[in-house]
Amino acid sequence: MDDRLTPEQEAMLEEALKNFPLVPMPHSITPNVMARIQKDTRPTLITWNDFALSFVIALCVGALIFTVQSLPPILLAKLHIEGILLYQYFLVNARWLVPSLFFGIAAFLSALTIPTLIQMTMNRQR
Amino acid sequence: MDNEQALIQRAQKGDHDAFATLVDEHQLYVYNLALRVVKDENEALDLTQETFVRAWTALPNFKGQSQLRTWLYRIVTNLCYNRLPNLRRSLNDLGDDVMEEIPETKFNAPADEFESNETRKHLYQAINGLDEQYRLLVTMRYQNELSYEEIATSLNLPLGTVKTGIFRAKAQLRNALAHLEDSWTTA
Repeated sequence: MDDRLTPEQEAMLEEALKNFPLVPMPHSITPNVMARIQKDTRPTLITWNDFALSFVIALCVGALIFTVQSLPPILLAKLHIEGILLYQYFLVNARWLVPSLFFGIAAFLSALTIPTLIQMTMNRQR
Repeated sequence: MDNEQALIQRAQKGDHDAFATLVDEHQLYVYNLALRVVKDENEALDLTQETFVRAWTALPNFKGQSQLRTWLYRIVTNLCYNRLPNLRRSLNDLGDDVMEEIPETKFNAPADEFESNETRKHLYQAINGLDEQYRLLVTMRYQNELSYEEIATSLNLPLGTVKTGIFRAKAQLRNALAHLEDSWTTA
C-alpha cells in the first residue's frame, strides 16, 4: 500500500478498477458474424490436402516395395553385404560420431536457453 | 451456466441459432477488452467479429477445460498481438518480481460525494492512460473478473508476470491519485 494514500483512497482505487464502465457497442456484430460463418464452411477433421499427402506417401512406399522385390537376387545380396560393411566401417572408423552427435544436440539445447536466461537476468537487475 | 453448456454443445454440432445466442451474450465483454487495448472503435469491432468467426471454426475443438469467455479472451488477445506486435514483448518484459498475493482493499467508508466523483473521474482517465499491456491486464482482472491463473492461461504468461503487471499498473494509478491529492492540497 502506498503511504501517500489513505485507506479510503486505496478503496476508491479498487472500486474504480472494478466499476470501470463498459463502453456500449455501436451496433451488434451478430448479423455480420452469422453472415460470415454461413459463407465459410467449417474445416472438416481430414482435409483434401491430408488425402493427397497420404496418397503420395502410400505410392512411394508401394514403389519402394515393388522395386526391392523386382531386384535380381544377386543385387540384393550385394546390397546386404554393402550394408554390413558400412555398419562395420562405422564401428571401426566413426566411433566418434555417436558421442559427437550426443554432445552436439546437448550443446544446441543448452544454447536455446540463453535468450531466456538473459531476459531473466535483465529482469532481476531492473 | 448449464444453459451455456447446452448452447456450446449445440453450436459445436453446427447449430447457428445457438452460436448467435453465445455471440449476443459475450460480444460486449470481448469488444470492451479489444477496445481497451487498441483504443479504436472500428478496429475493436473488427477484432470482436474476427474473434467470433475464429471461435466458430475452432469450436469443435473446445473441450470445456476453461470457461468459454476465457477461451474467447484468449482468441481476442492473440488477435491483438497480431495488430500490436509490441504488446507481446511488453508483456514478456514485465518480469516476475511480484510473487506474493496482492492484497485487495475493501471499500468501507465512502468519501465526500463531490470529491469522490472527481477522484473517480480522474482515476478512469488514469486507467485509460495506462500503457496497453497494463490496460489489458487490469481489464481482464477487474472488468472481466478473471483470476490471476486464468489471465496467465489466457495470455500464455507466467503467473508471476501477470501479478507483476497488475501490481505495477496499480502503482501507476496510486501515483496518479497521489498527484491529484497534492494538486488539491496546493490549490
